[in-house]
Amino acid sequence: MFNIENWDWESKEKMLAEPAKWKDQFEDVWEPYISPDGEKIASIVKIGEGEFNIAINEGTWEEPFEKIWYSRFSPDGRLTAFITKDMEWTMAVDGKTWEQMYEYIWDTKFSADGKIIAATTKVDSVYSITINEKTWECPTKLQSIASHVISPDGKTSVAIAQTVPLAEGDVNAFTKGAWSVIVNGKPWNDNYADIYGLAISDDGKNVVAEYRNSICEYGILVNEKPWNEKFGCTWEPVFHPKNSDEITAPVRQAGQWFLATNGRIVWDKGFINLMHQTYSPDGNNIAAAVAPSFAKWTIAVNGQPWSKTFNECILKPYFSPDGRKVAAIAKDSGKWLLVVDGTVLGEGYDNIWPPVFGPNGDMVICKVEKNGKYAIAVNGKIRGNDYEALWNPVVSPDGTKVMICGVEDGKYYRKVVLLSDI
Amino acid sequence: MKPTIAIREPVVDDLMDQTEKILTEEQIEKVINEVIDQETGVRLQTYVNTCIHCGLCSEACHWFLSNDRDVSFAPVTKVKDTIWVMLEKKGKVDAAFIKRCSQIAHTECNVCRRCGMYCPFGIDIAYMMLVVRRICAKLEMVPLYLQDTVNSHAATMNQMWVKPDEWIDTLQWQEEEAQGYVPSARLPLEKEGAEIMYSVIGPEPKFLAQLLGNITVIMKVAGLDWTMPATAGWDNSNMAMYSGDFEVMARVERLHHETAQRLKVKKIVMGECGHAFRGGEYDGPTWLGWMSPPIPIVHAVAFYYDLIKSGRIKIAKKVEGPVTVQYPCNIIRNAGLGSKLQYIMNAVCEDFVDLIPNDRHAYCCNAGGDTINCGPPWKKIRVQSAKIQSENFKRTGAHTIVTPCHNCHSGVEDIVDGYKLGMHVKFFSELLIEAMEIPEHLKPKEE
Ligand code: SF4
Ligand code: SF4
Ligand code: SF4
Repeated sequence: MFNIENWDWESKEKMLAEPAKWKDQFEDVWEPYISPDGEKIASIVKIGEGEFNIAINEGTWEEPFEKIWYSRFSPDGRLTAFITKDMEWTMAVDGKTWEQMYEYIWDTKFSADGKIIAATTKVDSVYSITINEKTWECPTKLQSIASHVISPDGKTSVAIAQTVPLAEGDVNAFTKGAWSVIVNGKPWNDNYADIYGLAISDDGKNVVAEYRNSICEYGILVNEKPWNEKFGCTWEPVFHPKNSDEITAPVRQAGQWFLATNGRIVWDKGFINLMHQTYSPDGNNIAAAVAPSFAKWTIAVNGQPWSKTFNECILKPYFSPDGRKVAAIAKDSGKWLLVVDGTVLGEGYDNIWPPVFGPNGDMVICKVEKNGKYAIAVNGKIRGNDYEALWNPVVSPDGTKVMICGVEDGKYYRKVVLLSDI
Repeated sequence: MKPTIAIREPVVDDLMDQTEKILTEEQIEKVINEVIDQETGVRLQTYVNTCIHCGLCSEACHWFLSNDRDVSFAPVTKVKDTIWVMLEKKGKVDAAFIKRCSQIAHTECNVCRRCGMYCPFGIDIAYMMLVVRRICAKLEMVPLYLQDTVNSHAATMNQMWVKPDEWIDTLQWQEEEAQGYVPSARLPLEKEGAEIMYSVIGPEPKFLAQLLGNITVIMKVAGLDWTMPATAGWDNSNMAMYSGDFEVMARVERLHHETAQRLKVKKIVMGECGHAFRGGEYDGPTWLGWMSPPIPIVHAVAFYYDLIKSGRIKIAKKVEGPVTVQYPCNIIRNAGLGSKLQYIMNAVCEDFVDLIPNDRHAYCCNAGGDTINCGPPWKKIRVQSAKIQSENFKRTGAHTIVTPCHNCHSGVEDIVDGYKLGMHVKFFSELLIEAMEIPEHLKPKEE
């Protein structure tokens, strides 16, 4: 998390706003968002017919707008949102709008330090990506943009885009390919029937995507070059965290799912399904959500599934910082459970948010929901009080404290608690 | 085994005609055997071996009944002329045969599963038709319009080539429309942690946007915590499930479910669509390895039943005059929502005139299972083969037919048109909006 060392890890408790009062002040108050450092809380508020603003801590943005939506904080704590003026859209950052107006703008993405803000934009029915107010100069008129990704340093931005117009019912043109990958405004040479699962390596050097040629012919493209191997189906590829030349993807062969690295199947065992493969921080281990048999879900680490399985589903696995432990949220018989290394910790909940490991991996902290209230659970057991709204806990860089931000009795608190006291 | 004599008017379908010209017998043999060996099992063998060719299933099929009991439309004939031959000849068939298979399985069967109820052994002919469709799809022998819809699913994850900005823009526009009735109504986009994710099918933003405004009003009046995604994953429909492209089907269903997981909702409520419920509840999860959807799915009929029964929505003024209903196969015969549908019809209509036969025994509207998506070339025979249901509608004397399914809606409109029934066709939510009470404090203030 950007600049986390400089966040306030000393103040034990700060009451920063009273969102409950917003309800008396404004006609309507939307769901709140907080800045990554927890210092700010903001909601879109309706102040009258066709007039919206953003309430943020004790104040609001200076200028109201006809419409506001998609308020999101950047990693460096600036508040962005899409706004309209005279039926045209643009981005507003801390209340100040970009100069250019667009027919439409959506899907904000940030660089890791928040300095770069990108979004999909449309002007005169041509689609593009706009980065810090500068729109790609793309030689091809893009007909649509399905999704976009930017690298952590913000220097590379890529999108899945329709590069060729398609007439209704023109299946031949579709099969020839009407979609491609656009890297920093430049389309790849070839078009494809379909492109999915776009990703950029952390160093921004390599771009990977799935492609579909025909009904059972799928493959992986790395910087335009396809893997030699083709598969019956694929899911999203991911990069090795330290070696951007290593790419891993779930692939389907003869009705079973396998894990493949750079085209070669690396786990000898096939599964009914295999998704969300995740590397450990050092890249030495891989965990994935797998179904060894129908309706039995678990996590496989380096190809070896946990013996405990869950009858509904399992979500993405998370490695501990040292890569030795794996946590995941599973659903069994209607309840969500925290599972660490194949063992269920604590009780079942109505909802569990992504787990956060303490520094040496023996503590897993989660936001959980029970009977409409939210709380922090440590190793699956609720600690402390209930909240009306709560955000994911953040562990301090030195691993001794945790930041907990939530709304209690209509007041927004940012608390810093010693891990040993939680 | 001799093929049945089937007299049909010639139909030009550009994709099927084109594929017939290029398919080789080697390709055909390979695909048939691959699908039969790798993708089917005991179920297919049992059905094929159990059938005693008695023909009792014919009485169940609206195609047979609407076409003067022409045996070439009988369920058992559909099997006999397709999968039986493939099995018997071990895949050694030609392109013209595959084309006829697609015609039978894609355009002359709604996979409505009525016949299965009449077979003494419960043989699921619809399942066998889906196996035939899978083989045809792998050979790219699919009606043109249906394939175009599947292509849209594959490229955009929605059925109607709706672009991401068009989707969001439509929701924002419909939120404003809803505020005309209930000024405080909101259509909350991307609200993580809401109770409900509401999902719809592609034609809603494309052609029937007012339905999105209606649901915004209904949710406000019922006081529910809900959201809709501003990303792909909003479309719950799935024509790939019906064309036989199960890989695209699975990707679409996975995205729909994972969008609900991302938004951390407790359940997905889906608009009025039958096949979308089947895809979300059964076919999609099964292919993906889930017993049932990890985030439960509630069909609009069950949702409205709960709202009315619990009193969250009160009825102020029932719709006058006789009103009848189409029972969508995928939520009635195949999911048991019949009595809930009758309950909500009685709740909002002064004079609900039921169909005969009704509930699980009701006939298909003849649009479902993809047939309406096969497009204009196949429309004439489709409407002609819905004669039996047109007579049932006529008998009710209703002024309106309610269709809690998009395919039924379009199919029943074609029936009303084709047989000059002079009836209106409406979704249930359209009746509910007219009939429900809007509490005083939610009404627009008089100027
Ligand atoms: S599934 Fe329906 S349409 Fe198909 S043969 Fe059976 S009754 Fe007829
Ligand atoms: S009723 Fe059953 S056994 Fe008889 S022909 Fe039909 S499918 Fe075969
Ligand atoms: S369209 Fe309607 S009646 Fe026909 S198969 Fe679907 S649900 Fe059945």
